[in-house]
Amino acid sequence: MSDKRQLVVIGGGPGGYAAAFFAADKGMNVTLVNDENNPGGVCLYRGCIPSKALLHVAKLLHEAEEAKNWGIEFSKPKIDLDKLRDFKNKVVNQMTGGLGQLTKARKIEYIQGRAAFVNSSRLHIKKVDGTEEDIEFENAIVATGSVPTKIPGLSIDSPRVIDSTGALELNDVPKKLLVVGGGYIGLEMGTVYSALGSKVSVVEMTPSLLPGADKDLVNVLKKSIDAKMEAVYLNTKVVKMEDTGKAVKVTFEGNDIEQKEQLFDKVLVSIGRSPVTQGLGLENTKVKLTQRGFIQIDKKCQTDDPKIFAIGDIVGGAMLAHKASAEGKVAVEAILGHKVAFEPNAIPAVVFTDPELAWAGITETEAKEKGLKVEVARFPWAASGRATTLDRPDGLTKLIIDSETERILGMGIVGYGAGEMIAEGVLAVEMAALAKDVALSIHPHPTLSETVMESAEVFFGESTHLYRPKRK
Amino acid sequence: MSKEFKLPELGENIETAQITKVLVAVGDKIEIDQPVLEIETDKATVEVPSEVSGVVNDVKVKDGETAKVGQVIFSVDSADSAKSENKSKVEEPIKEAPKAEIQEEPKKEEPSVPKTVTSKSEFKLPDLGENIETAQITKVTVKSGDKISEDTVVLEIETDKATVEVPAEMTGTVKEVLVKDGDTAKVGQTIFTVEGGSVSASKESPKKAETMSEQKPAHVSEQKAEKKAEPQITQPRPSVASAGSLPARKEITNKIAPASPTVRRFAREIGIDVHQVTGTGPGGRISIEDVKTFAKSLNESISKGAVGAGVIGIGREPLPDFSKWGEIERTAMSNVRKKTAEHLSYAWATIPHVTQFDKADITELEVLRKKFSKKVEAAGGKLTVTAILLKVISSALKVFPQFNASVDMENKEIIYKKYYNVGIAVDTEKGLIVPVIKDVDKKNIVQLSVELKELSERARNKKTTLDEMQGGNFSISNLGGIGGTYFTPIVNSPEVAILGISRSAYEPVYQDGEFVPRLMMPLSLSYDHRVIDGADAIKFLRWVIEALENPFLLSLEG
Repeated sequence: MSDKRQLVVIGGGPGGYAAAFFAADKGMNVTLVNDENNPGGVCLYRGCIPSKALLHVAKLLHEAEEAKNWGIEFSKPKIDLDKLRDFKNKVVNQMTGGLGQLTKARKIEYIQGRAAFVNSSRLHIKKVDGTEEDIEFENAIVATGSVPTKIPGLSIDSPRVIDSTGALELNDVPKKLLVVGGGYIGLEMGTVYSALGSKVSVVEMTPSLLPGADKDLVNVLKKSIDAKMEAVYLNTKVVKMEDTGKAVKVTFEGNDIEQKEQLFDKVLVSIGRSPVTQGLGLENTKVKLTQRGFIQIDKKCQTDDPKIFAIGDIVGGAMLAHKASAEGKVAVEAILGHKVAFEPNAIPAVVFTDPELAWAGITETEAKEKGLKVEVARFPWAASGRATTLDRPDGLTKLIIDSETERILGMGIVGYGAGEMIAEGVLAVEMAALAKDVALSIHPHPTLSETVMESAEVFFGESTHLYRPKRK
Repeated sequence: MSKEFKLPELGENIETAQITKVLVAVGDKIEIDQPVLEIETDKATVEVPSEVSGVVNDVKVKDGETAKVGQVIFSVDSADSAKSENKSKVEEPIKEAPKAEIQEEPKKEEPSVPKTVTSKSEFKLPDLGENIETAQITKVTVKSGDKISEDTVVLEIETDKATVEVPAEMTGTVKEVLVKDGDTAKVGQTIFTVEGGSVSASKESPKKAETMSEQKPAHVSEQKAEKKAEPQITQPRPSVASAGSLPARKEITNKIAPASPTVRRFAREIGIDVHQVTGTGPGGRISIEDVKTFAKSLNESISKGAVGAGVIGIGREPLPDFSKWGEIERTAMSNVRKKTAEHLSYAWATIPHVTQFDKADITELEVLRKKFSKKVEAAGGKLTVTAILLKVISSALKVFPQFNASVDMENKEIIYKKYYNVGIAVDTEKGLIVPVIKDVDKKNIVQLSVELKELSERARNKKTTLDEMQGGNFSISNLGGIGGTYFTPIVNSPEVAILGISRSAYEPVYQDGEFVPRLMMPLSLSYDHRVIDGADAIKFLRWVIEALENPFLLSLEG
């Protein structure tokens, strides 16, 4: 009885630790099983946080370059890769260490190891220190996340072929880098390496970068990517990779590419992420997987095994840290017997490229697919005073507005700092704000956030800085 | 055109009423539901709401007169009424009645509606609520050739949540019915096709009014008036109106409810699908108040028998104005209080209750209880009579399985349970809570004492989870700590019996030729007469009493 844990959270990423912390705050006795020294997961160790540290540096390098246009010229930057890596590692250690302290402060039992289900109420844990232990639980939350997907039949075992984890290790700056996959991870890492001096090519199977994002936003980003990258091949597939001993020989297939065989010093494969369901002993429980291999859950994040919940990347949907955290809280409340459901109206997505691209709520594409009657109001940043002072007119803010009720259903932004600004869109969508509400809310001048207000004004044909009368 | 307002049906066996006050006069503009009469029947004085709207042109009764049900009370200049419509309006030349703007608009629209939407249309199974994807059709109430209008009930369906009558929400003639009784249909599936159909005017007209207003600014006021009238259409009328249809449901396909996260969470907590709520805020934004109003309207229709269980066919009596007689204060019911009120009303109205009284001599038991209480205390529990009764009851339930059962009237079956979970009524700050102790038969009295103590503490600290309150087979309500001799506990439906305990007291008992003081505990056993007969009840109660008087019996028979 005494060693039966009230709640065991398996996996210490932003889903798992948020759930564990929240449960502890709610008065539960919580055990957190995680294989790292401290909580953090992919987000802190191998994802969001280290990549943003590097992207910050990339941005600085670009701005130093751009300063030429404003009469300030720096000499060519000297890049000390070891020191840069140290900075990135320091950021990671500081953040994860902080999480470790927060775990202790909340009196959460932290077991460093890997857990697997023995049955629906028992876990077998292989600890990092070599010992093993079985523990009983009343409830469990599975939050073991995802790992980079390998290209089936293509990925080769070579130090020259890396995934996002390898790219973040920053072992060297390859002269020629190929990024396979034009999603957000590929573009972000491509941005980093291009700033550090690599000649980066991007290959994407579909006709567009960032599949899922609205075209008009991607187009703005594409211009900047085209300028920074060596090449962007759309509608193109990688059909073969071969390590020649000095480089990787990549064979492409597609009409948009002339040179079908090219050599690269390194290849970064970033074609998606796959859930970590192996080795969890899920077959010993009633937990079911979906056809795509994710854990099947209901709106309460409950699996088919009533005492087992699952959250984050392992359940699919938007594989984003903040979505995992929000699900974690829903799962904890469900365990506490509250009537909750994970039903957000807006999950923001941010691509930390330069310019950044972000959206929340429904996209224009989605609205069309669903046949919703919407109007789209766009405010180009060329009309923004703040964007002009930054010499960054390459931006666009758009609102997707319900034609009938004039309610804001979605927001999309591409431009400098879009990631910080999208939160306003989340709030607008979640609070069911009307275009008028946003137009009437005073936004500070001169800031980029004014573009949100002005795009709401565009909807009414009365934007101060953009003359575009409403069609009658 | 002219409409007459007749004295409506006031209730069973009421044929006449004395009009104490006529609340309208010639020239008044009235709306549907506006009180127009104050009348007195032999049962009560009530205000009668209007079923018509328009401008009053003739009042045919005076204060103090007696009127018959069906007698014309007054007439109005109007184009619309709540019940009858559509018949002659199209031919009637439209008179410009300057004050009746509200009615003007739909009248102008109507001739055009059939023109634009006419021809064949389909009636699809509407959205029935959150997480309900299919429904079993218990009855198709229309057949080919039937004329239907918006409020015509066309289907009776059963979901896992309720049995519901589904209104047509369209007019026309049924052409082909594609399902039959007993079929299971998916939400969105076509049920029948309709000819000459038009979608409910109440849904179409606001949009039309809007497009019109852009062209003709003069209509703006009318459009507003109509928009205002819309929420009324969606709410069930509190008085005489038909009790057959659900509050109108909004189409929710692909729609995101315009409600903030707090409002959505609130709706979920009280079991309302927020998509069904009509918002009154800008852009139809839904507030907590809107959710409450919707929940209230739903409750009203439930008590009128419109939705699901609907066994309680008694309308609500209007409350008098208590403040007439002195100061009053109104406070909102807590959620626990609301649930208790609803649940117990249901149990009281559906279960034919009988209560059997008896007394148990617990003199010996009390000696034993005191003797072993230290031991139980050491284990972390408290040896109470309730804890002992838990064990006794679980044994009695094994001997009398009809007490460990539930009634399924729908299928005319009795469900016998092979597990023994007993609920204990706990009085908390927030109200009555009944946590359930599971598998009582598998636990000894010490374990039960510990668990009972924990559960009551959790209940009082508001820590009881939903899970802990479900799955009970039988309930115990011990009021002995407070007092009383006997009471009639209400069976905690869907259970079939409950044991009430009152305060034990020393009484003179005639034994072996003399009166001796014995500690007697009064017991009140309420049971569901549908499955338990009087003789069973006495046997059950006697068995419990004998077990209490001779604890050894438990190990013999239990």
